[in-house]
Amino acid sequence: MISRGIEKWKKLEEEAREIRRSEADWNFIESQPPKIRAALKFYVETGDLYVASRIADMSIEEFNDLRKRAGIPNVC
Amino acid sequence: MSAEEFAIADTCFLIDWASWRQRDLLFRLFKTVFVPELVIREIKSERTVEWVASSLSSGSLSLFTETPDIISFARDLVERSKLFPVRGIDLPEAICLAAGRMRNYVVITENRGALMAADFIEELSGVKVWRSLELIAEGLRRKLIKGDPRKVFAEYEMDTGHRFPRKDLEVMLHELEGEN
Repeated sequence: MISRGIEKWKKLEEEAREIRRSEADWNFIESQPPKIRAALKFYVETGDLYVASRIADMSIEEFNDLRKRAGIPNVC
Repeated sequence: MSAEEFAIADTCFLIDWASWRQRDLLFRLFKTVFVPELVIREIKSERTVEWVASSLSSGSLSLFTETPDIISFARDLVERSKLFPVRGIDLPEAICLAAGRMRNYVVITENRGALMAADFIEELSGVKVWRSLELIAEGLRRKLIKGDPRKVFAEYEMDTGHRFPRKDLEVMLHELEGEN
């Protein structure tokens, strides 16, 4: 099992966020309709696939395919 | 029942894992992997639906119907996770964690919130939570899959669009190399 302190988790979250931000295809993201664009940006910031899929009004799998097309890695 | 015999998978994990060329490793690690009904509702592609349906048919996957006690505990976990200054969890992954606690299943997830919740919430102390990183490493350790570990992890990243945290990956590779 993985065991870390809160500060370590915060640091890991920030590192993961930076990876998502830097690898995302921002031209693709900005070209999407508003709801999809907002969901992709939410995912870049949080890495939360479930909530992002609800924002986009998609199933989790449909949103997961979209995040791959947007070049956003799932960091975990 | 031994924890290693049963696992429960959340959607984020299953969808990623289904894209991997060696995805059937999962069924050599566990007697069966439970899939909550909530998860089944989230899969749509022909590739994933066919894999899940055939695995349910063979018994490698089993449907997990959420009971009121599991849902109630899961809702408690969602609320408690929001008390910490880090990302919380939502009901789908909370159901897996609740089942991990109440049924002694290994929880398999790619959700950071679930990893953090298992770390901070006292009631989840002792629940085994594995990512694909730990699952693949276990497969390599038990020689259920073969090949250069670096290449195996790289193929997983390539197939799924997943990214292992570099430090965690290096620690795991170091451990695996030390064992050989």
